[in-house]
Amino acid sequence: MKKWSNVVAVLMAVVIVIGAFAVSCTKTAPPEPTGPIIIKIGSQGPYSGPAAPWQLAGDPPSDEFLKLFNEEGFQVNGKTYNFQTVEVDDKNTPEGGAAAAKQLVHGDGVKFIVSHWSWTFPAVTAVTNPAKVILISRTGNEAVPASWGGLYDPVTMPYVVFGNPSHEQFTSDCLAIVDAYPNYKNLGIMDSTLGAGPGWDQVFRDLDKAGVRYHMERFPPGTMDFTPIISRFKDADCDIVYIAGWITETWAFAKQRWEMGYKDMKVGHSGPFVDINMYKSICGPEAAEGLIGQYWANWDFKKTKVNPKYVAMCQQVQETILQRTGKFPYTGWIGWSPSHILILSQAMQKAGTVDDTDAIMEAIRGGTFDTTTGTWTMSGAKTYGSPVVFGTPSALCIIQGDKEVYLSEHPMDPIP
Amino acid sequence: MPPAAILIDGLVQSCIFMTMAFGMVLVFSILGILNWAHGQFYMLGAFVVYYAITAAGIPFPLSILISGMVVGGLGMLVEKYIIERLNIPGYGMLYVTVATLALIFFFEGAAGMAFGLMDKGLATVLPGVLDLGSFSVSYQKIAVIIFTIVILAAMYIVLNRTKIGLAIRAAAQEPVAASLYGISVKRVSLIVMGIGCALAAMAGGVMAPVYTVSPFMGRIPMIFSMLAIIIGGLGSLTGAIVGGIILGFLNSVIAYYVSYLSEFVLFLLVIVILLVRPQGLFGASIK
Repeated sequence: MKKWSNVVAVLMAVVIVIGAFAVSCTKTAPPEPTGPIIIKIGSQGPYSGPAAPWQLAGDPPSDEFLKLFNEEGFQVNGKTYNFQTVEVDDKNTPEGGAAAAKQLVHGDGVKFIVSHWSWTFPAVTAVTNPAKVILISRTGNEAVPASWGGLYDPVTMPYVVFGNPSHEQFTSDCLAIVDAYPNYKNLGIMDSTLGAGPGWDQVFRDLDKAGVRYHMERFPPGTMDFTPIISRFKDADCDIVYIAGWITETWAFAKQRWEMGYKDMKVGHSGPFVDINMYKSICGPEAAEGLIGQYWANWDFKKTKVNPKYVAMCQQVQETILQRTGKFPYTGWIGWSPSHILILSQAMQKAGTVDDTDAIMEAIRGGTFDTTTGTWTMSGAKTYGSPVVFGTPSALCIIQGDKEVYLSEHPMDPIP
Repeated sequence: MPPAAILIDGLVQSCIFMTMAFGMVLVFSILGILNWAHGQFYMLGAFVVYYAITAAGIPFPLSILISGMVVGGLGMLVEKYIIERLNIPGYGMLYVTVATLALIFFFEGAAGMAFGLMDKGLATVLPGVLDLGSFSVSYQKIAVIIFTIVILAAMYIVLNRTKIGLAIRAAAQEPVAASLYGISVKRVSLIVMGIGCALAAMAGGVMAPVYTVSPFMGRIPMIFSMLAIIIGGLGSLTGAIVGGIILGFLNSVIAYYVSYLSEFVLFLLVIVILLVRPQGLFGASIK
């Protein structure tokens, strides 16, 4: 009996090997492309886990924008190219980030990845930099250079591009709040203990220089009860509290400060509003009224000039999503993926190549790029030592009824 | 003296830790296991309440009862088809621990797939605040306090004034002797698991309007409930209540005084308590 099982097993193995060989032999050479040439870009982000809502909210409009972008495509050396994204879930964990990057780099063979900023960054760059894959990411406050004590090392991470500035964005947001409410008493700033570090030290130096009155509080990750911290802000006479990211925590904070009777305490966060109805259903309509958030609706910018072509494309995307889902998507997508692909395509045009990542990086460093959030110049090697977009509109809005209404704007001054 | 708002907040925190810890200790006393997925039953309870209110229009108090029944029933299924089969003499404790740890991610993943990952809110349930002069308290938080008093009173009556309560206490004290007296320890285990999970679910349900409802909302309450029963004394129902009160107030008061260092100070205190009294404040068990 055992002998027959062995024979059957061997026969099955032979059949599988022969079958696989036969299938591989039937493959024919791919046809010559007749339309635009496709360049694959990895898009890794949190498609599962607690951070997934933001990725999932931004994907449909970003995909629509890419469709519009691809209608025209972009020309390099007389050939027309299109981008195609390969989306991979990084689960917002270092392990997930590394696995996603490996799959994209070694499995899908991409040379460019657009990504979110998160604690996955060191694990992802450990995969992308040795492979000379360009990683375009948003930044967080910890993205200050390693020489300052931050996570980002321009020497060992030469293929990293930050599509948005890091701590400078927080500074400009704070200044935009102060511009909007010049009679404020004290600006409360809240971040989790994870964000502590040299980035915030730089923000405080900048705020001191600008003469902003502020008081900082930190909370341990996972905190949902902010009553003690709200009391501490009240004790410090803060009438506005700006929260660095942390949307869920902002909901809890805004709701709890309202319930504690501190209805005059204004609350804002550094991210855009994902869905106003969500804020209202979680905070309560009254507590959500007047909340401050980032605003990337480039058609409303008052101080930042944006290419009318990109404004029209973004508005068209908004309309498409409105028709499809019955509501406008959040505006946060405008400052992210579209801006990244524009930086990348323009850098390819300047470099005259679509696959030499060294040449493309050379074009990015110190280059000026026309994006969906304005025209900004990369830092080059003088300051960060690697490309960082030195600019942000830092536009803010507030919730008024069912709408986001433009509040103020403090475009970042170029950093020498 | 911290402000009154902080003390009220501490009381609300205590209420949730007490209710959850009570359920965990009850299960531990009979089954001899720690249900690491207790926080996920809390989460499921919140989802049941959310959908009972938003989809079916069921009143809030009734939704909480329904969440207790639905999730309590689920807990019984888990006991019958997973815990009972794995809780074999020798390595059973280890197997059950691994299984309930796996259930954390299973339930979170399942909830994510079934209900979505976006946070959900019930801010419109019991809206408004009770103005107390220098501070105010939301009606939602008042509901949490009332709920806890009612639940603990009900549990006291069930455990001390009913036949099933007598059976539970007997099975907790001497399972072999209880069996000899005709008490089915298996059935008691099933009921106790149901009650424990129902308590967690109702705690989650009553907290649903206070915070947000999400597949991951059970993690922190679970950790704090575990700490509460360790401080109170593993196996002691009184200890679970006292541990919950201590932890809730400490969590709130320490955070007010030392801000983000609160966790460091809080967990240091827990270690000190355990070093001084390793068996917890209330000793061994309800035996």
